[in-house]
Amino acid sequence: MIFVAVGTQFAFDRLVRCVDEWAAINQVTVQAQIAEGEYIPKHAQWERFMTTAVFNQHLEAASLIVSHAGMGNIITALEKRKPIIVMNRQSVLGEHRNDHQSDGLEWMSQLPGVFTARSCEELRSLLKQASTLTASDAATSNERRARLISFLDQAIRS
Amino acid sequence: MTIRRKVLAISSPGGHWIQLTRICAGLEASHDLVYAMPDKLFKAQKNKVYSVPDVSADDKWKLLPCAVKVAYILLRERPQVILSTGAAPGVVAVFLGKLLGIRTIWVDSIANVRKISRSGEMVQKRADIFLTQWEHLAQSNEVRYQGSVL
Repeated sequence: MIFVAVGTQFAFDRLVRCVDEWAAINQVTVQAQIAEGEYIPKHAQWERFMTTAVFNQHLEAASLIVSHAGMGNIITALEKRKPIIVMNRQSVLGEHRNDHQSDGLEWMSQLPGVFTARSCEELRSLLKQASTLTASDAATSNERRARLISFLDQAIRS
Repeated sequence: MTIRRKVLAISSPGGHWIQLTRICAGLEASHDLVYAMPDKLFKAQKNKVYSVPDVSADDKWKLLPCAVKVAYILLRERPQVILSTGAAPGVVAVFLGKLLGIRTIWVDSIANVRKISRSGEMVQKRADIFLTQWEHLAQSNEVRYQGSVL
């Protein structure tokens, strides 16, 4: 099952439609969180918003996550060891206020288990090879997080 | 080494909040944390979370109710430190914290890789400690790099 999640702030019809149409042709099960989108999936199961508990349930059940390039979904997918494809919103298409999601793709693609797409075409070519997309097997970022927390702990004490 | 401080951890929902909770998970054993966030859409899975009105660039007028609520939380909880990952609710808290003589720590969101966030720029000169999560964005003592959530 593929879990599509576009975040809570804005719709992302381009992403939802891209996966929905592809999955209909290829007979892949999809669960989608679509926010205030106007495009209603014809193939995928969908909800506009979901509680954290339901969100986590779908995430656990999924073999692949397809998401907007939002920090929250990336962190959650990495922690749950699920491969994630992210596509950025574009402000020129009215999908976000600015293009920080496009900037984000540059470093997100450096993380193991994170795959990036800038268009529906790129997204579909990743979906075609979905079975080869694997999650990170080691927590490469543990050290950076430990350093941050230890610094903050000291800063709070001082 | 046994100094426990009371910390108000505050942020916007979504990615900012997720980064904040990951950081705070490592601080809860050694400090007393109180949380604040806009939770209209999404109920936080924590015990003590104050709800604050959300503010974004589209509805700046909400800064006022947000500031009133944050002031209430600060006066009621009397934290010694404010910790924020952004965005607008964190800016409000840093401004009010400075006014009340509370130490303020800002951790700029990891999503801002090319430059410091807009909300971060607003507090860069005010926060007692200002961290970026990108080594290449660090500049001397005003903007420091000390690790990241990922």
